[in-house]
Amino acid sequence: MPFFAGDIFVSEVHRKPVLDRAGEEIGKLTDITVGQGDPFPSVTALVVKSGKLTYLIPWDQINLFNKRVISVNLLRDQLSPAVIEPAEVLICRDILDKQIVDINGAKLVRVNDLKLGDVNGRVSLIAADIGLRGILRRLGVEARGERLLSVLRYRLQNVLIGWHYLQPVEPKLNKLTLTVSRQKAAQLHPADLAEIISEVSQKERSAIFGSLDVETAAEALHELEPSVQADIIDDMSKEKASDILEQMPPDEAADVLGDLPEAKAQELINLMEKDEAEDVQELLEHEEDTAGGLMTTEYLAFPPDMTVEDAIRELRLEAPDVETVYYLYITDDQERLLGVLSLKSLIMARPETLLQDIMRSPMKTLSLDAEQMDVAEFISKYNLLAAPVVDENMVMRGIVTVDDVVDFLLPPASRKKRRKI
Amino acid sequence: MSALLPVVQPGIFIMVIERLKQFFVKRRILAVLAVIGPGVIAGNAGNDAGGIATYSIVGAREGYGLLWALLLITFALAVIQEMSARMGVVTGKGFGDLVREQFGVRVTLAIMTLFVFANLTVTIAEFAGIAASMELFGIHKYVSVPVSAFVVWFVVVKGNFKQVERFMIVISLVYFTYVVSGFMANPPWKEVARQISFPQVRMDRDYFLLFITMVGTTVTPYMQFYLQSAVVDKGVRVEEYSYARYDAYVGAFMTVFIAFFIVLCTGTILHPAGVIIDSAEDAAKALEPLAGPFSAHLFALGLLNASFLAAFVLPLATAYGLSEAFGWESGINKTFSEAPQFLGFYTAFIVIGAGIIMIPDIPLIKIMFFSQTINGILLPIVLVIMLRLVNDRSLMGDYVNSRRMNIITWAMVLVLITLTVLLLVTSFLS
Repeated sequence: MPFFAGDIFVSEVHRKPVLDRAGEEIGKLTDITVGQGDPFPSVTALVVKSGKLTYLIPWDQINLFNKRVISVNLLRDQLSPAVIEPAEVLICRDILDKQIVDINGAKLVRVNDLKLGDVNGRVSLIAADIGLRGILRRLGVEARGERLLSVLRYRLQNVLIGWHYLQPVEPKLNKLTLTVSRQKAAQLHPADLAEIISEVSQKERSAIFGSLDVETAAEALHELEPSVQADIIDDMSKEKASDILEQMPPDEAADVLGDLPEAKAQELINLMEKDEAEDVQELLEHEEDTAGGLMTTEYLAFPPDMTVEDAIRELRLEAPDVETVYYLYITDDQERLLGVLSLKSLIMARPETLLQDIMRSPMKTLSLDAEQMDVAEFISKYNLLAAPVVDENMVMRGIVTVDDVVDFLLPPASRKKRRKI
Repeated sequence: MSALLPVVQPGIFIMVIERLKQFFVKRRILAVLAVIGPGVIAGNAGNDAGGIATYSIVGAREGYGLLWALLLITFALAVIQEMSARMGVVTGKGFGDLVREQFGVRVTLAIMTLFVFANLTVTIAEFAGIAASMELFGIHKYVSVPVSAFVVWFVVVKGNFKQVERFMIVISLVYFTYVVSGFMANPPWKEVARQISFPQVRMDRDYFLLFITMVGTTVTPYMQFYLQSAVVDKGVRVEEYSYARYDAYVGAFMTVFIAFFIVLCTGTILHPAGVIIDSAEDAAKALEPLAGPFSAHLFALGLLNASFLAAFVLPLATAYGLSEAFGWESGINKTFSEAPQFLGFYTAFIVIGAGIIMIPDIPLIKIMFFSQTINGILLPIVLVIMLRLVNDRSLMGDYVNSRRMNIITWAMVLVLITLTVLLLVTSFLS
């Protein structure tokens, strides 16, 4: 394994002399071949030219590879000229300066430079430089340009597209297609975004999530398979992860946390805001496939002696925070469930009426340990949008909404496919 | 009988149209017409304000003495424009694309810098042409320049490729006013034919300088850039290549055909009278007392039209070239949000080009000299790169130049390079 320190831009090593073991110059580095099929194409050999002769030096024969020195473990006499196969991908010839297009084929920019870096112990093509800095580097005036622009108070930054955003390399590339455009990622529907994310490598999903705002990330995360959700949360910074979890409905946040190691989950819960954390904590204590595990703790609860007028006002205030507004639950001061009221009957009632006069009671409830199939059948049987979950003392603990169980009700083919990698 | 007429007539019409259609389809005329456009427009845009001025001066100074050179120019232009069209059709990429992909950042940046400056100065010259010709009709430049700049901007930004191309082809047809001018001058055709067949080449400096200026003004890099990009933007397919070739040839021929009549006109009327002119508007003014106001107006209209067409083509060629070099989305069909850089540069060029003309007392002669110099430096580079690209089998496949074609083109390119170098040297010396 050659000694390789830090990341290198191809323009920094292009046309540099390549030395053999004895320090003799073999020729100039003119190109680099990469493997195909990986998300980050790994370097397989160096193309070295000396006059009319071309040598192909395998990567494992390279001793040093950096901006100053490129040296080979062999002696010059041991090398024999090679012919480059048409199927090889040469990054200077085939990738540098090529057009990058977005998913729709619209032209975006060209590859100004290429960045090599370490991926799982292999030197690979990790990013395409598309910025001004890349152009200046190609011209050999990067440092001068940087100084000049810093006088104008402009900080010259690298604008890179990670290779995971680009299509895999193949021979005879005419253009490079972006799998997702960074600007557009936030505008995509969360379900589409989830699809794109599930196509990129595991390491990079978190990178995409890192670039999304918390709300979009929360919605997109919801569309993914629970085990993938857990992976992503696990990779993320704790602060960002807890922010995203706060944005998710408590039952989904609990699902994600349930797949994490206990210590990590606890750590994230501690970072969350108190109210959200308590809800999630409570949900975590239930088995995942019971009513307790399926339910959410956000619901509308009102005292029985409230007037319809006050209830509607209150409803307006609370509605943004709850998943379902179609049912209002009437509870006493010990949070025991007394009855239920549909949104429809609330709106149709006269303003001064008390809730207890129009609520329906007694009513059907689910126990915390009800099996998920039973919960589904219950909701289906009574045509409910949500069902209340109570403990043995009739204390209201949460509601299970129809979207949490709809997958069990539908025939298998039409079930929503959660994306898995 | 009279009652039957309205019933019968549409039937006859349809039959006639069908017959005509069959006639055209059989001779593939429709297919050719569909492809024709970029070559004709690029060629005619070569007869811009500067071109008309040069030809007017050539006729006034030398009479028919340099007409023979137009034959050579036709040939050179046809060969070069055909290669541009071929590269566009076969690779589906513009010249800017190919230079960037095959020659890298350094070469691209050098070429694009020259290209942008050269084109900017030529664009200024086109708006100057509009201003000068409109002033001959009594319209002040503060009216004519903003209005024409707006039209040029609006047509491309709001129109689609097809509409813009048709618009420009119609403008190209207005060039035939010069043919009318030429005939109206009633030249002694026998003498014209004699001078073309047996040219009396003089070996003095003025004669030679006029000759190379004429070549330099007719073969300009922006024409090749525009032609190739327009062929790509139009989406001409490889199967249509033979028609695209006609397009390039027709364009080259038409360009020189028009130039021929300009020289004929000033050569017949101004040369014998010994009128010395320095510009196209001078020529129009000088024609008035000698050939009447109609001739003069026709000549001025031709100049207006030529400047107007080139005011489209130059900003377009630049916007195409830059977008290709840096990989930005481009195309006349695109909106501002889809291709912001392309339309942005197009707009900037028109604003700067027209804006500079609005400044009082700008040194136009110096600007023209500057643009001629940069174009002179750029042309040899473009031609050499073009020959290397067109012979690259990995790009062109079987459409590379044939051996014979290469001998012709390299010889011609060497002559053109020698001439432009000489032009540069002499213009710096004088």
